[in-house]
Formats: sequence, C-alpha cells, structure tokens
Amino acid sequence: MVEWTERRPPEGEYRMLDADGQLDGDPPELDDDELLAMYRTMVATRTLEDKMLNMQRSGEASLVARSRGEEATPLGCAAALAPDDWIFYTYRQNPALLYWEYPMAEIVAGDMGAEPQTVAEHLDTDEPDVNFSPDYTPVGVNTTNAVGMAMADKFNDNETVTMVFVGDGSTSEGSFHDAMNFAGVFEPPVVIVCQNNQWAISEPSHRQTGAETFAKKAEAYGVPHERVDGNDVFAVRETAEEAVERARNGDGPTFIECVTYRMEEHNTSDNPDVYRDDSEQRDEWEEKDPLARYETYLREEDVLDDDLADDVQADVDEQVSEAVAAAREVPDSEPERMFDYQIHDTPWNHAHQRAELEREQNGENPFTDFTGEGFDE
Amino acid sequence: MSETYPAPASDHDADETDEIDLVTAVNQTLDQEMARNDSVRLMGYDIGPIGGVYRATEGLLEEYGNERVIDTPLSENGIIGTAVGMAMAGERVVPEIQFMGFSYPAFGQIMYALVKMYDRTGGDIEVPLTVRMAYGGGVKALEYHQESTEAYYLHTPGIRVVCPSTPYQAKGLLTASIRHDDPVLFMEPKKIYRGGSQPVPTEEYTLPLDAARLVREGEDVTVLTWGAMVRHAVAASETVDADVEVVDIRSLSPLDVETILESVKKTGRCVVVHEARRTLGLGAELSALVNEYALDRLKAPVKRATGYDVHFPSHDIEDDYLPDEERAQYAIEAVMNYEF
Repeated sequence: MVEWTERRPPEGEYRMLDADGQLDGDPPELDDDELLAMYRTMVATRTLEDKMLNMQRSGEASLVARSRGEEATPLGCAAALAPDDWIFYTYRQNPALLYWEYPMAEIVAGDMGAEPQTVAEHLDTDEPDVNFSPDYTPVGVNTTNAVGMAMADKFNDNETVTMVFVGDGSTSEGSFHDAMNFAGVFEPPVVIVCQNNQWAISEPSHRQTGAETFAKKAEAYGVPHERVDGNDVFAVRETAEEAVERARNGDGPTFIECVTYRMEEHNTSDNPDVYRDDSEQRDEWEEKDPLARYETYLREEDVLDDDLADDVQADVDEQVSEAVAAAREVPDSEPERMFDYQIHDTPWNHAHQRAELEREQNGENPFTDFTGEGFDE
Repeated sequence: MSETYPAPASDHDADETDEIDLVTAVNQTLDQEMARNDSVRLMGYDIGPIGGVYRATEGLLEEYGNERVIDTPLSENGIIGTAVGMAMAGERVVPEIQFMGFSYPAFGQIMYALVKMYDRTGGDIEVPLTVRMAYGGGVKALEYHQESTEAYYLHTPGIRVVCPSTPYQAKGLLTASIRHDDPVLFMEPKKIYRGGSQPVPTEEYTLPLDAARLVREGEDVTVLTWGAMVRHAVAASETVDADVEVVDIRSLSPLDVETILESVKKTGRCVVVHEARRTLGLGAELSALVNEYALDRLKAPVKRATGYDVHFPSHDIEDDYLPDEERAQYAIEAVMNYEF
C-alpha cells in the first residue's frame, strides 16, 4: 500500500495559549460569559457532529464532515465579527455557525437532504445576527464571491466586514487566486481565512503548494497576512479581531493562515487509513486539542468547574436532541418543488415538464402530449 | 456596409428617436440604466478609459466614476465571481466579457455560483447579473474571438440567454435584462454592432424576455433564427419562391415554445439558421420540439442551416463556415421541394 507521508508545517506561528493550556502574555479581554460562550460552542459542535455521524451511519443523514480538533479556527474567527457582517463558509465551519446561533435544526435538516425551501417552510427558526452565505461545496468559489461582496460594501461606504473560509486544498483553485488578486487590487473589507488542516481529502498540504507556508501566498498579492496556531482560540480570535478592525476602518483585506490538523476523515465517505501515514504528527495534534487546551485554561482561571461543565453538556445535549427532533419532522419535499427557484417565471418547458412529473407521480403516462398544448384531463 | 433592418416594432409609438447602430444602442442603454439606478455597476476588462474593445462603454467612466465603471484585473472568472458577490450584496452588476470565447475561464463561477445561488438558497438570494458578451463571426478576428457557443449556457438552468438582432431590440432587451432579477447572459452580435442604424426611441423602454418576435409573416415555411442571422433569413425570404415566416427567437432561454410551435404548425415546414456548430446547437432542441409536438403537421423534415461541427476556421474561409443568405435560401428551397 502506498501512503502519503506528512511534512511537519514550519514552526513560528502566533500562539497565546500553549498545548498545556498555559497563557503566554496578557489574558484576552473577554468576560466570563464570553469565555463560556466559546466553550459551549466547542462542546456543541462536537456533540452535534457526533450525533450527525450516528445519523449518517444509520442512514438518516447524508455526508458528514466533522471539525473535531479544528474548532478553534472557525470559532475564533467568527467571534471576531459583529452583527450584520457576513460569513462565507464551506463544510467544516460548524463552530462559526453555532457561535452565531445559526439554527442547529437547519444544519441537521440540510444534512438529511431537505430542499432549502422545504426546510424554511417547516422550521420556525430565527435568523442569526451575522449573515451566512449558503455553504459552498465547490471549493474556492466562495472566496471570489466574498471579495465581491466586500467590494460592494467598500463602494457603498458600508461598515460591514465579510469573512470567508477556505481550506488548504482550496488555495490551489483558480477562484482562490482570483479572489486574492482582486482583494489586493481593490482592498475591500474582507478577511480570508485558510483553515489549513493539512489534508484535502487524500492529499497532503505539500501537494497543494511549493510555498513554505500558505500565508506566504498572500505576499505576492499585496495582501497583509498572518499565520497562527489554529488550535489556540485566543490567538485566532485576537488575530481575526485585528483583521476585522483593519477591514472596518477601511484598511483593506487580510489573509490568515490557521495551522491545524484534520483528526478525522474528510467526510463519512472517506477512509484516511488508505492514504495517510499520520504517525509523524497525529499524537502531537492530539496533545494540541483546542477544546482540552481551552478547558484547562478555563478551569485554572476558575471560570469552569465540573458542575458547570456538566451543566453545559446537559444543555447542549438537550439542544441537539431538540434540533434533531425538529429536523426529523421536516417532511420530504413535494417532488415538483425541484422546479422552484430556477428563474422567476414558469416558462413553457418548466410548466410542461412539471406536468409530466405530476402525471408520472400519479401513475399516468407522461408522454402523451403530441401537440405541445398540454395533457387532456 | 449597409444593412437594412426590419422596421422597429410598430407597437412603440415614440415621440423622439435617434438614428443609432446596435453598439450605440447598448451604450445608450447602459448610460440610461446607470442614471436611473445607482446600484447598476459595470465591470470588465478594458471598459474604462478605452471604453471597451467595441466602445460599448465609451464615455461612461467619465460620467459615473471608477466605482461604477470598474476596470478589473484580467480574469473572467474573477469578474464573474466578484460580480456575483456584489449582486449578493444588492448591487445590479453588468459585467462585460469581451468575447464569448473568453467566457470559459469564468465557467466555474457561472456554473457554481451565478446560476445556482437562487436555487440553493431556496429563493433567498437573487443574483441579478446581466453578463454582456460579444459573440459571433464574420469580423476577421483571431481564434476564440468569433465563437457562438451559447449551447453551453442553454443547457444550464438558472440563467436566461437573450440575443438582440437590431438596435431597437438591443435597447429594449438590454434594459429589460438589467432590470430583471434573474441572471441574464446577453449575447451581442458583434458582426452587426455597427452594421446599420435605425430609429431607436430616445426614452427608456423594455421588451419582453420570454417572447419570440415575428419578423415576417408567411404561410409556407418557418425560419427560426436570432442575432446576426436574422438579416440573412429575411434577405433569403425575399428571394425564394415561397411565402416565408421569419421568427426571431430573441429569448434563447427560456424558449417561447408556443410561438415557435404555432408558426410551424401553420406553415408545416421549419428551417433553423444559426451560427453555432450544428451538433447540440439550439437548432437541435428546436428540431426536437417540432418533431415531438408538430410532427403530424410537417410537410418536410426540419433542416438546420448552421455552422459546421468544427473549430471556427481562419479568416480566409470563415465566410464559407458561416451561414448566410445563400445557405438559408438553400435550406428553405430544400424543405419546399421535399415530398413525403
């Protein structure tokens, strides 16, 4: 069996909280409620994703891509934003969604395969304070759209900031290049976050770039860049806050590489044992787990104790249960809904094909119109 | 070069008109829509000081400034990708892709973001982009500057494809496209950009985006065509010994199937004239529709007078590739002479 070997990423990324939960320097200016909100988000992400994994295994959910071990990156970045800002995400940013109280039931229902309009009609949920793009499956595409949105904000003198997440693999896509290039030229208020978990499905990061780091790519585009320990939620948040502030003050884009590690499979269709020899780094990254590290800190600071941790977990368990129950109540879409929201009108071909589909659903032959004038009822 | 156009639709009773060509009609439309709505922004390559490779945006930078007439880095994918993001923020963006043959680098953003956003958000996010593209041959241009590859986009849901054939049509259809909340791919027939002028109302007006246009009524044979080919179809119809009905498809997607079928059922014969390669060009779909829904009215098989299934040839033989009056005439005569 041929496997990829890993190359350890270069040292030197910015860190505040080390792997043992020890803080280097001044503590962040975050009150206990905010510290616990971040803790709760990490716990909620793990609990939700583990539940969705079970649902996938029992055939209830489609593909599940977990963020275990990477939570600090999307969480710390998203926490730097303010209401009305925008997040363009892909599929491993659940902590960003949950921090801003994106309806958990919508995440579950979406993963169970419901059409978005069916989800919207059957789930009575509140809009989060931060705007979310739809999730993007084709990687890199969201980056260009996010830069465009930020360009519009710049032209309109809005104070809104747009944040976009990409993976290490996405940086190889043309749309990523275009986004960075336009960001460098137009200097819009955008924060581009590379969640470098070192694996893009079966290929390691050293197959994505010959550059020493992903952060260095930004140099050539004239985009300011930072490189941080992606498992240190304080370092990520502080870096993202500086980037967001710069953007809001009209000082343009920032590219942030957050160095982390994909502990799990790419998604539930994937088996990493086939292609990766993770003996080089895996144990080390287990030690660097963002939740364990953060929990140690909170306990040492007396923000968290066993009772409170139990309460948080119980509360999260209940929230996940309610979300799953609500998602399970979303019915399958009516088949003709597939014709919704293609364009704003119902042209002849849609009306005709929809009638064909309805006939087929009713056990009638859909191919009996030989005039184009419709079906005899 | 003198081209005669079909007269403007008689339903438009304008007080004041300008005698303008097609590219000037595009320029005037962009100017009027930008004046009318501050969220209309143009993006593209060479659209600023130089006014576009065909001068369609001439004078607009001076009038509206560089945040509304945005010269971009040289990247079609970047233009469409950022335009989509701007549209998601509520802007009404009109990107220019210089040539249809240059649209392929943007295929990713068109397929993944532009055409899919409205569907994938359950109708929450609209992307009201009008992507202008010069298309078509006959101008002795370089490779990839003469393409008519609209079929790629016609196969794709979530985007309208519109093509004017006269200055009057260009203004009304472009105005309607910019104001519409759907993405529109607006194909501009570069061969007739300056191919002739006609009186065009000075005031704003729209034309429907879902209706074919009856250019010429006839009883014997229907010619389905659009863009720069309309003039050839009309010229051919005046020389053949048959009463020819010419339908300007105008909205290539969605198709005005009712008008198309009504005409073919009346005449019993159908010819399609288009510049694009034949295999799986729009003519294939038109022929299929006629066969599925009007077979028992047909007095002859459908014939397609089109480009050939080859890469667009070099200057010296491009006129032999492109359909013209003569090829349209042959096709009309062939179906007229056919007997079952």
